[in-house]
Amino acid sequence: MTRFLAVSNRKGGVGKSTISVMLAHAAAAWGRQRVLLMDLDTQCNASLMLLGGEGWDKAARAGRTIADYFYDRFDKVAGDESTYVINNVGDVAHPRTARGRVSLLPGSQRLEDIQGELYLKQSKKDLHADAVALLVRGRMKRLMRHFGMDCDLVILDCPPGLSFAAQAALDMADHVVVPFRPDFVSQFALDRVALLIERVENAEQLASIPFPERRYACLPNCLTGAGHERLLIDQIALDHPLLTTRLPVLDGIARAFDWDESKKSMEQKYAEALPHLRKLHTEVFTGAQMRAQSA
Amino acid sequence: MRNTKGLSGAAQDAYFRRVLKAQGSLSEEAREQLVRSLKRDIAQLRLRREPLPEAVLPASPSASETHHPQVPTPNAQAPIPGPAASFDPYSPNIVVLLRTQGRAAALAALAGVDSEHELRLLAREQRLSVAPDLSSPQELRAAIVNAAERRIANRVAAAS
Repeated sequence: MTRFLAVSNRKGGVGKSTISVMLAHAAAAWGRQRVLLMDLDTQCNASLMLLGGEGWDKAARAGRTIADYFYDRFDKVAGDESTYVINNVGDVAHPRTARGRVSLLPGSQRLEDIQGELYLKQSKKDLHADAVALLVRGRMKRLMRHFGMDCDLVILDCPPGLSFAAQAALDMADHVVVPFRPDFVSQFALDRVALLIERVENAEQLASIPFPERRYACLPNCLTGAGHERLLIDQIALDHPLLTTRLPVLDGIARAFDWDESKKSMEQKYAEALPHLRKLHTEVFTGAQMRAQSA
Repeated sequence: MRNTKGLSGAAQDAYFRRVLKAQGSLSEEAREQLVRSLKRDIAQLRLRREPLPEAVLPASPSASETHHPQVPTPNAQAPIPGPAASFDPYSPNIVVLLRTQGRAAALAALAGVDSEHELRLLAREQRLSVAPDLSSPQELRAAIVNAAERRIANRVAAAS
Protein backbone atom coordinates (compact mmCIF):
# COMPACT_ATOMS: atom_id res chain seq x y z
CA MET A 1 0.00 0.00 0.00
CA THR A 2 1.31 3.43 -0.91
CA ARG A 3 2.30 5.63 2.00
CA PHE A 4 2.03 9.40 1.91
CA LEU A 5 4.65 11.31 3.88
CA ALA A 6 4.39 15.09 4.09
CA VAL A 7 7.34 17.29 4.99
CA SER A 8 5.79 20.46 6.28
CA ASN A 9 6.12 23.56 8.41
CA ARG A 10 4.33 26.84 7.89
CA LYS A 11 7.61 28.60 8.60
CA GLY A 12 9.97 29.00 5.67
CA GLY A 13 13.68 28.22 5.52
CA VAL A 14 13.59 25.25 7.87
CA GLY A 15 14.84 22.70 5.34
CA LYS A 16 11.63 21.14 4.02
CA SER A 17 12.80 20.68 0.43
CA THR A 18 16.28 19.51 1.38
CA ILE A 19 14.87 16.93 3.77
CA SER A 20 12.23 15.83 1.25
CA VAL A 21 14.91 15.16 -1.35
CA MET A 22 17.22 13.46 1.15
CA LEU A 23 14.42 11.16 2.28
CA ALA A 24 13.47 10.40 -1.33
CA HIS A 25 17.05 9.40 -2.15
CA ALA A 26 17.37 7.35 1.04
CA ALA A 27 14.07 5.50 0.57
CA ALA A 28 14.98 4.63 -3.03
CA ALA A 29 18.60 3.65 -2.35
CA TRP A 30 18.31 1.90 1.00
CA GLY A 31 14.63 1.01 1.20
CA ARG A 32 14.36 -0.08 -2.46
CA GLN A 33 11.20 1.98 -2.70
CA ARG A 34 9.61 3.48 -5.77
CA VAL A 35 9.38 7.06 -4.56
CA LEU A 36 7.42 9.95 -6.03
CA LEU A 37 8.30 13.41 -4.77
CA MET A 38 5.45 15.84 -5.25
CA ASP A 39 6.72 19.42 -5.24
CA LEU A 40 3.95 21.60 -3.84
CA ASP A 41 6.19 24.59 -3.18
CA THR A 42 6.05 27.43 -5.70
CA GLN A 43 9.75 28.09 -5.06
CA CYS A 44 10.26 24.69 -6.78
CA ASN A 45 13.48 24.05 -4.86
CA ALA A 46 13.04 20.28 -4.75
CA SER A 47 12.43 20.25 -8.50
CA LEU A 48 15.57 22.29 -9.10
CA MET A 49 17.57 19.92 -6.88
CA LEU A 50 16.32 16.91 -8.82
CA LEU A 51 16.15 18.27 -12.38
CA GLY A 52 18.45 21.28 -12.48
CA GLY A 53 17.29 24.63 -13.87
CA GLU A 54 17.12 23.56 -17.50
CA GLY A 55 15.37 20.30 -16.73
CA TRP A 56 12.75 22.07 -14.67
CA ASP A 57 12.23 24.73 -17.32
CA LYS A 58 11.77 22.04 -19.95
CA ALA A 59 9.16 20.29 -17.78
CA ALA A 60 7.34 23.57 -17.14
CA ARG A 61 7.25 24.43 -20.86
CA ALA A 62 5.92 20.97 -21.64
CA GLY A 63 3.08 21.44 -19.15
CA ARG A 64 4.38 18.70 -16.88
CA THR A 65 4.02 20.33 -13.47
CA ILE A 66 1.67 20.00 -10.56
CA ALA A 67 -0.02 23.26 -11.53
CA ASP A 68 -0.75 21.89 -15.02
CA TYR A 69 -2.08 18.70 -13.53
CA PHE A 70 -4.52 20.48 -11.22
CA TYR A 71 -5.60 22.87 -13.94
CA ASP A 72 -6.20 20.10 -16.45
CA ARG A 73 -8.08 17.93 -13.99
CA PHE A 74 -10.29 20.73 -12.70
CA ASP A 75 -11.09 21.35 -16.38
CA LYS A 76 -11.72 17.63 -16.77
CA VAL A 77 -9.02 17.25 -19.39
CA ALA A 78 -8.46 13.53 -19.76
CA GLY A 79 -4.96 12.14 -19.44
CA ASP A 80 -2.87 9.77 -17.48
CA GLU A 81 -1.19 10.96 -14.27
CA SER A 82 2.04 9.46 -15.51
CA THR A 83 2.30 12.06 -18.27
CA TYR A 84 3.04 14.68 -15.62
CA VAL A 85 5.66 12.60 -13.79
CA ILE A 86 9.36 12.55 -14.64
CA ASN A 87 11.07 9.29 -13.71
CA ASN A 88 14.61 8.58 -12.54
CA VAL A 89 15.42 12.11 -11.47
CA GLY A 90 18.24 13.28 -9.23
CA ASP A 91 21.93 12.60 -9.34
CA VAL A 92 22.07 9.45 -7.21
CA ALA A 93 22.78 6.31 -9.23
CA HIS A 94 20.47 3.40 -8.54
CA PRO A 95 21.46 0.01 -10.00
CA ARG A 96 19.39 -0.87 -13.06
CA THR A 97 18.32 -4.10 -11.43
CA ALA A 98 17.23 -2.45 -8.20
CA ARG A 99 13.59 -1.58 -7.65
CA GLY A 100 14.29 1.77 -6.02
CA ARG A 101 13.88 4.93 -8.02
CA VAL A 102 12.97 8.58 -7.52
CA SER A 103 10.31 10.21 -9.68
CA LEU A 104 9.12 13.78 -9.55
CA LEU A 105 5.92 15.69 -10.11
CA PRO A 106 7.60 19.04 -10.73
CA GLY A 107 6.59 22.18 -8.90
CA SER A 108 5.36 25.33 -10.58
CA GLN A 109 5.52 29.02 -9.80
CA ARG A 110 1.97 29.23 -11.12
CA LEU A 111 0.52 26.95 -8.46
CA GLU A 112 -0.56 29.83 -6.20
CA ASP A 113 -2.34 31.65 -9.04
CA ILE A 114 -3.98 28.47 -10.15
CA GLN A 115 -5.29 27.79 -6.67
CA GLY A 116 -6.93 31.21 -6.76
CA GLU A 117 -8.48 30.45 -10.12
CA LEU A 118 -9.74 27.09 -8.98
CA TYR A 119 -11.31 28.76 -5.97
CA LEU A 120 -13.08 31.29 -8.17
CA LYS A 121 -14.34 28.58 -10.51
CA GLN A 122 -15.82 26.64 -7.64
CA SER A 123 -17.28 29.75 -6.02
CA LYS A 124 -19.68 30.21 -8.91
CA LYS A 125 -21.77 27.66 -7.16
CA ASP A 126 -23.96 29.11 -4.44
CA LEU A 127 -21.69 28.21 -1.55
CA HIS A 128 -20.24 29.87 1.51
CA ALA A 129 -16.54 30.79 1.24
CA ASP A 130 -15.48 28.14 3.77
CA ALA A 131 -17.42 25.49 1.90
CA VAL A 132 -15.74 26.48 -1.37
CA ALA A 133 -12.33 26.26 0.27
CA LEU A 134 -13.21 22.83 1.59
CA LEU A 135 -14.34 21.77 -1.84
CA VAL A 136 -11.11 22.89 -3.53
CA ARG A 137 -9.03 21.25 -0.81
CA GLY A 138 -10.98 18.01 -1.03
CA ARG A 139 -10.68 17.93 -4.81
CA MET A 140 -6.92 18.53 -4.63
CA LYS A 141 -6.59 15.79 -2.06
CA ARG A 142 -8.40 13.29 -4.26
CA LEU A 143 -6.35 14.28 -7.28
CA MET A 144 -3.10 13.91 -5.36
CA ARG A 145 -4.14 10.47 -4.20
CA HIS A 146 -4.20 9.27 -7.81
CA PHE A 147 -0.42 9.39 -7.84
CA GLY A 148 -0.22 6.60 -5.30
CA MET A 149 -0.93 3.98 -7.97
CA ASP A 150 2.54 3.44 -9.31
CA CYS A 151 4.79 3.93 -6.32
CA ASP A 152 5.43 2.74 -2.77
CA LEU A 153 5.97 6.11 -1.19
CA VAL A 154 4.80 9.62 -2.03
CA ILE A 155 6.73 12.44 -0.39
CA LEU A 156 4.81 15.71 -0.32
CA ASP A 157 7.19 18.66 -0.15
CA CYS A 158 4.86 21.29 1.28
CA PRO A 159 5.19 25.03 0.83
CA PRO A 160 5.53 27.42 3.75
CA GLY A 161 2.28 29.14 4.58
CA LEU A 162 -1.08 27.54 4.20
CA SER A 163 -2.25 27.15 0.64
CA PHE A 164 -5.04 24.79 -0.38
CA ALA A 165 -2.40 22.39 -1.68
CA ALA A 166 -0.55 22.43 1.65
CA GLN A 167 -3.75 21.80 3.57
CA ALA A 168 -4.73 18.99 1.22
CA ALA A 169 -1.29 17.43 1.70
CA LEU A 170 -1.59 17.61 5.48
CA ASP A 171 -5.07 16.11 5.31
CA MET A 172 -4.02 13.12 3.26
CA ALA A 173 -0.59 12.35 4.72
CA ASP A 174 -0.22 9.17 6.76
CA HIS A 175 2.68 10.76 8.57
CA VAL A 176 4.22 14.24 8.68
CA VAL A 177 7.83 15.19 9.34
CA VAL A 178 8.06 18.76 10.61
CA PRO A 179 11.59 20.13 10.33
CA PHE A 180 12.40 23.16 12.45
CA ARG A 181 15.30 25.36 13.41
CA PRO A 182 15.49 25.69 17.18
CA ASP A 183 14.81 29.38 17.53
CA PHE A 184 12.20 31.28 19.46
CA VAL A 185 9.73 31.72 16.58
CA SER A 186 9.86 28.03 15.69
CA GLN A 187 7.96 27.13 18.84
CA PHE A 188 4.97 29.11 17.64
CA ALA A 189 5.22 27.62 14.15
CA LEU A 190 5.28 24.08 15.53
CA ASP A 191 2.34 24.73 17.83
CA ARG A 192 0.28 25.97 14.91
CA VAL A 193 1.17 23.32 12.38
CA ALA A 194 0.48 20.63 15.00
CA LEU A 195 -3.09 21.91 15.41
CA LEU A 196 -3.64 21.60 11.67
CA ILE A 197 -2.12 18.16 11.39
CA GLU A 198 -4.11 16.77 14.30
CA ARG A 199 -7.23 18.70 13.25
CA VAL A 200 -7.77 20.27 16.66
CA GLU A 201 -8.47 23.86 17.62
CA ASN A 202 -6.31 24.62 20.63
CA ALA A 203 -3.38 23.55 22.77
CA GLU A 204 -5.57 21.75 25.31
CA GLN A 205 -7.11 19.54 22.67
CA LEU A 206 -3.68 18.84 21.22
CA ALA A 207 -2.30 17.92 24.64
CA SER A 208 -5.02 15.33 25.05
CA ILE A 209 -3.60 13.33 22.12
CA PRO A 210 -0.78 11.05 23.33
CA PHE A 211 2.48 11.41 21.40
CA PRO A 212 2.42 7.87 19.94
CA GLU A 213 -1.01 8.57 18.44
CA ARG A 214 0.04 11.74 16.65
CA ARG A 215 0.62 11.75 12.91
CA TYR A 216 3.64 14.02 13.07
CA ALA A 217 7.13 14.13 14.50
CA CYS A 218 9.39 17.18 14.64
CA LEU A 219 12.93 17.15 13.32
CA PRO A 220 15.51 19.60 14.73
CA ASN A 221 17.54 20.88 11.80
CA CYS A 222 20.53 23.16 11.19
CA LEU A 223 21.91 22.72 14.70
CA THR A 224 25.10 24.54 15.64
CA GLY A 225 25.52 23.15 19.15
CA ALA A 226 24.65 26.45 20.85
CA GLY A 227 23.23 26.18 24.36
CA HIS A 228 19.97 27.93 23.54
CA GLU A 229 19.19 25.19 21.00
CA ARG A 230 19.19 22.61 23.80
CA LEU A 231 16.87 24.82 25.85
CA LEU A 232 14.36 25.20 23.05
CA ILE A 233 14.44 21.56 22.03
CA ASP A 234 13.74 20.54 25.64
CA GLN A 235 10.86 23.02 25.77
CA ILE A 236 9.43 21.84 22.45
CA ALA A 237 9.70 18.21 23.59
CA LEU A 238 7.12 18.91 26.30
CA ASP A 239 4.44 19.49 23.68
CA HIS A 240 5.49 17.71 20.52
CA PRO A 241 6.94 14.32 19.57
CA LEU A 242 10.54 14.75 18.43
CA LEU A 243 12.65 12.49 16.28
CA THR A 244 15.90 11.53 17.99
CA THR A 245 17.79 12.42 14.81
CA ARG A 246 19.38 15.85 15.01
CA LEU A 247 20.65 17.38 11.78
CA PRO A 248 23.61 19.70 12.29
CA VAL A 249 24.68 22.46 9.94
CA LEU A 250 26.91 20.55 7.55
CA ASP A 251 28.71 21.46 4.37
CA GLY A 252 27.92 17.95 3.18
CA ILE A 253 24.22 18.76 3.12
CA ALA A 254 24.64 22.21 1.61
CA ARG A 255 26.95 20.95 -1.14
CA ALA A 256 24.82 17.91 -1.91
CA PHE A 257 22.29 20.10 -3.66
CA ASP A 258 24.52 21.99 -6.04
CA TRP A 259 23.07 20.70 -9.31
CA ASP A 260 25.33 18.20 -10.99
CA GLU A 261 24.38 15.99 -13.91
CA SER A 262 26.80 13.19 -13.15
CA LYS A 263 25.32 10.30 -11.21
CA LYS A 264 27.00 9.33 -7.96
CA SER A 265 26.63 7.01 -5.00
CA MET A 266 24.90 8.05 -1.78
CA GLU A 267 28.31 8.07 -0.10
CA GLN A 268 29.71 10.46 -2.69
CA LYS A 269 26.69 12.70 -2.64
CA TYR A 270 26.15 13.07 1.07
CA ALA A 271 29.73 12.66 2.37
CA GLU A 272 29.88 13.50 6.09
CA ALA A 273 26.12 13.94 6.21
CA LEU A 274 25.58 10.27 5.39
CA PRO A 275 25.41 8.92 9.01
CA HIS A 276 22.80 11.54 9.86
CA LEU A 277 20.76 10.62 6.80
CA ARG A 278 21.00 6.92 7.63
CA LYS A 279 19.67 7.59 11.10
CA LEU A 280 16.88 9.78 9.77
CA HIS A 281 15.92 7.18 7.17
CA THR A 282 15.79 4.42 9.77
CA GLU A 283 13.81 6.51 12.19
CA VAL A 284 11.28 7.84 9.71
CA PHE A 285 10.68 4.68 7.69
CA THR A 286 11.13 1.95 10.22
CA GLY A 287 10.25 3.91 13.35
CA ALA A 288 7.36 2.96 15.55
CA GLN A 289 5.20 5.86 14.41
CA MET A 290 5.52 5.08 10.75
CA ARG A 291 4.90 1.41 11.38
CA ALA A 292 1.78 2.26 13.34
CA GLN A 293 0.53 4.47 10.53
CA SER A 294 1.08 1.95 7.81
CA ALA A 295 -0.31 -0.98 9.77
CA MET B 1 24.27 36.50 58.03
CA ARG B 2 24.96 32.80 58.11
CA ASN B 3 28.02 31.76 56.15
CA THR B 4 26.44 28.57 54.84
CA LYS B 5 23.17 27.78 53.16
CA GLY B 6 21.18 24.59 52.71
CA LEU B 7 20.26 23.06 49.40
CA SER B 8 17.82 20.26 48.77
CA GLY B 9 15.50 18.96 46.05
CA ALA B 10 15.73 20.60 42.65
CA ALA B 11 18.28 23.18 43.85
CA GLN B 12 20.53 20.41 45.10
CA ASP B 13 20.21 18.54 41.79
CA ALA B 14 21.06 21.68 39.88
CA TYR B 15 24.13 22.17 42.06
CA PHE B 16 25.32 18.60 41.41
CA ARG B 17 24.89 19.08 37.68
CA ARG B 18 26.78 22.36 37.69
CA VAL B 19 29.72 20.96 39.60
CA LEU B 20 29.92 17.79 37.54
CA LYS B 21 29.67 19.71 34.31
CA ALA B 22 32.97 21.37 35.19
CA GLN B 23 34.61 17.92 35.02
CA GLY B 24 35.29 17.90 31.30
CA SER B 25 36.39 14.26 31.33
CA LEU B 26 32.94 13.02 32.34
CA SER B 27 30.49 12.02 29.67
CA GLU B 28 26.90 13.28 29.94
CA GLU B 29 25.77 9.78 30.76
CA ALA B 30 28.37 9.44 33.55
CA ARG B 31 27.34 12.82 34.93
CA GLU B 32 23.69 11.85 35.03
CA GLN B 33 24.55 8.56 36.70
CA LEU B 34 26.49 10.41 39.38
CA VAL B 35 23.67 12.89 39.86
CA ARG B 36 21.21 10.04 40.34
CA SER B 37 23.51 8.37 42.81
CA LEU B 38 24.09 11.59 44.76
CA LYS B 39 20.38 12.36 44.81
CA ARG B 40 19.70 8.96 46.27
CA ASP B 41 22.30 9.27 49.03
CA ILE B 42 22.21 12.93 50.00
CA ALA B 43 19.19 14.53 51.62
CA GLN B 44 20.58 18.02 52.07
CA LEU B 45 23.76 19.96 51.30
CA ARG B 46 25.24 22.88 53.17
CA LEU B 47 27.33 25.17 50.99
CA ARG B 48 29.71 27.91 52.03
CA ARG B 49 28.58 31.29 50.81
CA GLU B 50 32.22 32.30 50.19
CA PRO B 51 34.72 29.78 48.82
CA LEU B 52 37.68 28.97 51.09
CA PRO B 53 40.93 30.67 50.13
CA GLU B 54 43.18 28.48 47.97
CA ALA B 55 45.75 28.25 50.75
CA VAL B 56 43.51 26.23 53.05
CA LEU B 57 42.33 23.84 50.36
CA PRO B 58 43.96 20.47 49.93
CA ALA B 59 46.00 20.11 46.78
CA SER B 60 44.13 18.48 43.88
CA PRO B 61 45.14 14.89 43.36
CA SER B 62 47.14 14.29 40.21
CA ALA B 63 45.78 12.08 37.47
CA SER B 64 47.98 9.21 38.63
CA GLU B 65 46.60 9.39 42.15
CA THR B 66 43.03 8.82 41.19
CA HIS B 67 41.40 6.38 38.82
CA HIS B 68 37.90 7.71 39.23
CA PRO B 69 36.44 11.09 38.55
CA GLN B 70 36.31 13.16 41.70
CA VAL B 71 32.76 13.49 42.91
CA PRO B 72 31.88 16.22 45.37
CA THR B 73 30.30 15.10 48.62
CA PRO B 74 28.69 17.24 51.28
CA ASN B 75 31.79 17.10 53.42
CA ALA B 76 34.39 17.46 50.71
CA GLN B 77 36.30 20.70 50.91
CA ALA B 78 35.98 21.38 47.21
CA PRO B 79 35.84 25.00 46.08
CA ILE B 80 32.60 26.29 44.66
CA PRO B 81 33.48 26.66 41.01
CA GLY B 82 33.70 30.22 39.76
CA PRO B 83 31.26 31.44 37.10
CA ALA B 84 33.68 31.28 34.20
CA ALA B 85 34.74 27.71 34.89
CA SER B 86 31.53 25.92 35.65
CA PHE B 87 28.44 27.98 35.39
CA ASP B 88 26.04 26.74 32.72
CA PRO B 89 23.46 29.44 32.01
CA TYR B 90 21.28 26.90 30.18
CA SER B 91 20.79 24.72 33.24
CA PRO B 92 18.35 24.41 34.84
CA ASN B 93 15.93 25.04 31.99
CA ILE B 94 13.55 27.33 33.87
CA VAL B 95 10.66 27.10 31.42
CA VAL B 96 10.77 23.31 31.44
CA LEU B 97 11.07 23.17 35.22
CA LEU B 98 8.22 25.61 35.69
CA ARG B 99 5.97 23.63 33.39
CA THR B 100 6.82 20.20 34.72
CA GLN B 101 7.33 20.86 38.43
CA GLY B 102 5.85 24.26 39.16
CA ARG B 103 6.96 27.65 40.45
CA ALA B 104 8.31 26.46 43.78
CA ALA B 105 10.60 23.95 42.10
CA ALA B 106 11.87 26.56 39.64
CA LEU B 107 12.65 28.96 42.48
CA ALA B 108 14.28 26.17 44.44
CA ALA B 109 16.49 25.27 41.49
CA LEU B 110 17.53 28.89 41.13
CA ALA B 111 18.47 28.97 44.80
CA GLY B 112 21.60 27.10 43.73
CA VAL B 113 22.69 30.19 41.77
CA ASP B 114 23.96 32.87 44.10
CA SER B 115 25.57 35.68 42.25
CA GLU B 116 23.79 38.50 40.51
CA HIS B 117 26.13 38.05 37.57
CA GLU B 118 25.22 34.39 37.11
CA LEU B 119 21.50 34.99 37.54
CA ARG B 120 21.59 37.76 34.93
CA LEU B 121 23.60 35.56 32.60
CA LEU B 122 21.10 32.73 32.99
CA ALA B 123 18.22 35.13 32.36
CA ARG B 124 19.88 36.54 29.26
CA GLU B 125 20.77 33.19 27.75
CA GLN B 126 17.34 31.73 28.47
CA ARG B 127 15.72 34.84 26.97
CA LEU B 128 13.96 35.66 30.23
CA SER B 129 13.70 39.38 30.59
CA VAL B 130 14.45 40.87 34.03
CA ALA B 131 14.47 44.53 35.06
CA PRO B 132 17.93 46.13 35.14
CA ASP B 133 17.41 47.74 38.56
CA LEU B 134 17.05 44.46 40.45
CA SER B 135 20.13 43.46 42.37
CA SER B 136 19.28 41.06 45.17
CA PRO B 137 19.49 37.41 44.15
CA GLN B 138 16.07 36.82 45.64
CA GLU B 139 14.45 39.50 43.50
CA LEU B 140 16.27 38.28 40.42
CA ARG B 141 15.15 34.69 40.95
CA ALA B 142 11.52 35.77 41.30
CA ALA B 143 11.84 37.99 38.22
CA ILE B 144 13.30 35.11 36.19
CA VAL B 145 10.45 32.80 37.12
CA ASN B 146 7.92 35.57 36.39
CA ALA B 147 9.49 36.06 32.98
CA ALA B 148 9.29 32.32 32.31
CA GLU B 149 5.59 32.40 33.24
CA ARG B 150 5.00 35.26 30.82
CA ARG B 151 6.83 33.39 28.13
CA ILE B 152 4.69 30.29 28.59
CA ALA B 153 1.54 32.43 28.56
CA ASN B 154 2.67 34.08 25.33
CA ARG B 155 3.15 30.78 23.63
CA VAL B 156 -0.21 29.42 24.76
CA ALA B 157 -1.92 32.60 23.55
CA ALA B 158 -0.30 32.37 20.13
CA ALA B 159 -1.33 28.76 19.67
CA SER B 160 -5.02 29.27 20.42
